[in-house]
Amino acid sequence: MMQAREIMTKSVVTISGSATVAEAVKRMKEKGLRALIVERRSDSDPYGIVTETDIVYKVAAFGHDPKQMRVYEIMTKPCVVVNPNLGVEYVARLFATTRIRRAPVVQRELLGIISTSDILNKSDFVDKPKSEFELYCEENPSALEARIYD
Amino acid sequence: MLTARDIMTAEVATITGSATVAEAVKVMKEKGLRALIVERRSDSDPYGIVTETDIVYKVAAFGHDPKQMRVYEIMTKPCVVVNPDLGVEYVARLFANTRIRRAPVIEGKLLGIVSISDILKKSDFVEKPKQLYIEDRIEVALEEARAICAEKGATSPECAAAWDEVEELQAAAADKRREKKKVSSLEAYCAENPDALECRIYED
Repeated sequence: MMQAREIMTKSVVTISGSATVAEAVKRMKEKGLRALIVERRSDSDPYGIVTETDIVYKVAAFGHDPKQMRVYEIMTKPCVVVNPNLGVEYVARLFATTRIRRAPVVQRELLGIISTSDILNKSDFVDKPKSEFELYCEENPSALEARIYD
Repeated sequence: MLTARDIMTAEVATITGSATVAEAVKVMKEKGLRALIVERRSDSDPYGIVTETDIVYKVAAFGHDPKQMRVYEIMTKPCVVVNPDLGVEYVARLFANTRIRRAPVIEGKLLGIVSISDILKKSDFVEKPKQLYIEDRIEVALEEARAICAEKGATSPECAAAWDEVEELQAAAADKRREKKKVSSLEAYCAENPDALECRIYED
């Protein structure tokens, strides 16, 4: 099974929670990104994320001034993080159940970001769709149900 | 105010509802798109949309075979459509209220597609944030100012502060109106009545 690590986008841009929304928009435009990871204040601090959806839904939709509003007012923190070894099918399932579209890939440090676009464009779900049963058998090769008769 | 027409992406790809999800993925990958518009069967049929979120949430997440599943099983139809003349701030509000991220722009026919990325990248909400419903807010501020002044007295600092707020809103509204019509009411009056006393112009 393909893993999050194989399809994630490694170029990630971070921003501080105290930055203004206008700075976040500038950074997103410059780098052509749809989300920024919010820097941690310390090693025990959780990761946060601010996406273009947050900016449009919470700032543009209300005509608030992005130069006056701060990232911490609209970010999601703590955010769902993905382990680099998680199978792509499970990433898709996690996204569907939590209704999110992207998440940072973290193992001790920030490794990358994974999105629905990565799943669509880089994973093998079209060529090799895996059913729940196949996933179970892959994880439990010695289970009775996974026996293969030759 | 910028409108949906000004920021939309004119390049749109369509697909039929009976196509397989695998075909939809192929078109999306080839054209680098995040959504396809589902073609109408007739002029009275509504528009539909299928997005990468639909595919990931409903197909990939369950390990369903995209070659076996059809677009009509996962599409959103009818979908929210946007009029090309709708102001960008209203598009953002509509998206926030309906929890969507993109919608086809339609006037008689399909003109384009507008997404949250278009709003972020092409609209002027950072440079010129616009308050919606400003006329309604002026009305409320006026009522409040009158009530405060009646209660606390016309010379009280609370009364002055309330009227300051009204003035601020009116100034913001005037800014907004100035973009539309540059002709003041005096200018309009003078254009119609060039001989009126008020329209005299003194030359040195």
